[in-house]
Amino acid sequence: MNLRAASLPKKFHDAVLGWKDTFLPDWNFLMDNWEKHFPNDRKMELCAYREMGMCDEIEVGDHKGKPKYTRASEMHPDQAAHIFGAIKAQASTEFGSIQQHRLTLARAQHEEEQFWVLRMMAEELRHGYQMLHLLVEDDWSSVAQESSADLVEEILSMTTGSHVLGAFNIDFDSFVDNVVFCCLIDRVGKYQLSMQRVSAYKPMAESMPQMLREEAFHLATGVVPMRRWAQQAAEGEVYITMEMLQKAINKWLPRGLEMFGDERGGGTNVRFGLKPLKNAEAQDQYYEEVRKVVRDLNMRYLRARLPELDLPAANEALDKLEAGEVVHGVKPEELLYLPHKDFFRRRGVPAFTKTGARGETFDTLQGYLDHLRRTLPESYLAAIDFRQFVEKLREVEAGETTPEEASRELPTLRRIAGSCPCSKSVRWVVEAPQTAVESGNGGNGHTQAPAAG
Amino acid sequence: MPEATREVSVRPASELDIGDIVRIDEKIGGDYRPEVWERRLGYYIRRDPDASVVAESTDGRVVGFMLGEVRSGEFGLEHPTGWVEVLGVDPDFRGRAVGRQMAEAMLEHFRSRGAIEVRTLVDEEAMGDVAGFFRSLGFEPAPLQPFVMQL
Repeated sequence: MNLRAASLPKKFHDAVLGWKDTFLPDWNFLMDNWEKHFPNDRKMELCAYREMGMCDEIEVGDHKGKPKYTRASEMHPDQAAHIFGAIKAQASTEFGSIQQHRLTLARAQHEEEQFWVLRMMAEELRHGYQMLHLLVEDDWSSVAQESSADLVEEILSMTTGSHVLGAFNIDFDSFVDNVVFCCLIDRVGKYQLSMQRVSAYKPMAESMPQMLREEAFHLATGVVPMRRWAQQAAEGEVYITMEMLQKAINKWLPRGLEMFGDERGGGTNVRFGLKPLKNAEAQDQYYEEVRKVVRDLNMRYLRARLPELDLPAANEALDKLEAGEVVHGVKPEELLYLPHKDFFRRRGVPAFTKTGARGETFDTLQGYLDHLRRTLPESYLAAIDFRQFVEKLREVEAGETTPEEASRELPTLRRIAGSCPCSKSVRWVVEAPQTAVESGNGGNGHTQAPAAG
Repeated sequence: MPEATREVSVRPASELDIGDIVRIDEKIGGDYRPEVWERRLGYYIRRDPDASVVAESTDGRVVGFMLGEVRSGEFGLEHPTGWVEVLGVDPDFRGRAVGRQMAEAMLEHFRSRGAIEVRTLVDEEAMGDVAGFFRSLGFEPAPLQPFVMQL
């Protein structure tokens, strides 16, 4: 492990700091309490890390074996456009998730869980910083008209409702969302980062290892509280029920599946050497991983519900429950289930197909809407995101639009309130009086001394 | 390396492995301790997710785990030192060099993190087989005195 740390040029670094003060005001609180919650862990710093000594040759695709690209100008414009779009989307998700998490962070019932999420948010900020570093360190003028300053400004100005990917445009309703989001949506992030680790664009590949290390903790920030909640639910605790967990999974898993892109796509990324898997291949692996998470949570529930069972008996009981049997008074409906891949989809092959959470299909729109009302969190039913989905579904059902058109129209959510007004009126990137005018090729990051590995 | 060692592969541990580690620990010791492993694995993942590993059989089942980290700061040990802190192998997979493969992966990571030596602590009287395992890897008794006081 050989990490090199770098900072953004000052005006961009300051822009991120300004954004942090607005959307992550608990940063200083986290740092002040770091030793209490993360003793002996090196305090995180807001910088970009590059892993040195990674593979120099393109690892997949049409140009496998050739040297990796170190500058955007070395790539075919189509390749550069793909990687440029991926960096922007990745940056958007990192900043976007902080905006979501902050809404309900204070509602955590346990300080430890709250600090885990807070640390995760701080690391997401670093990940966003890392992506901005990729954008401003290279010359993207072959694929972007904007100056580096405008690119940074555009990304920092996004709010919940205007981000690139749908999952980051949905408000959280409770701390259950914070945790389930970490478990399901950060898991997609892990897949994307893992795939980009082989990117033919070397700066991108070098950015991934440290992000992946940090992402591992983000997934634990989701899974560990969910396991504890499953246990407490089995013991009759009143706070978070298995039904609440199920509904949160139903809310987020469809968005996670869609983050992989259309099931028919992804081949171009593979050919260009930017990712090793097509969309459907990665999505399948993700879905199977979530299946394991659900079974583990059910086992945690069952062992707490029937503590008299030993390990072999518990395994046998869980198998029977998953097959639909009642076991020792425990009913299958007490457990979590993995929502069907086509459930509540608005993008990709199954978009707007009226598929239920268990894979059942509905003949009538009303029947499907009743099903959604029963299977999604009550608070989410009142959200604009859900309303817009239902409106588009009605249009599709009425033949007024196609699923493809409806999918394209959905991400643009109107936003009339809810985010800090500063984000609408203040320019994040401020030119210093003596600073030279920023050109399209951006400034170079200041390379610092090597970071301790 | 013996032929049997091809039965497993080694990878970094993740939060997905908590249930499997709980299972292996229960098979070894007889106690069901999910809280212990949620906390411990959470700690190691937070500190350095690449430092702790699990072994998977060819059918994808987790059959062993080894947790540790690189740290410095013990009295007289200011240099980066790799620490192997927990080890568990599914009893059904004992004798197949699962522990050795996990140790090799872990030591390689420790080297990449700048560790110049690796240490572990074993109660040799109570866990002679564990001590024997580490000796077989090349570990030797060290002049590091553990101090203890009854409370």
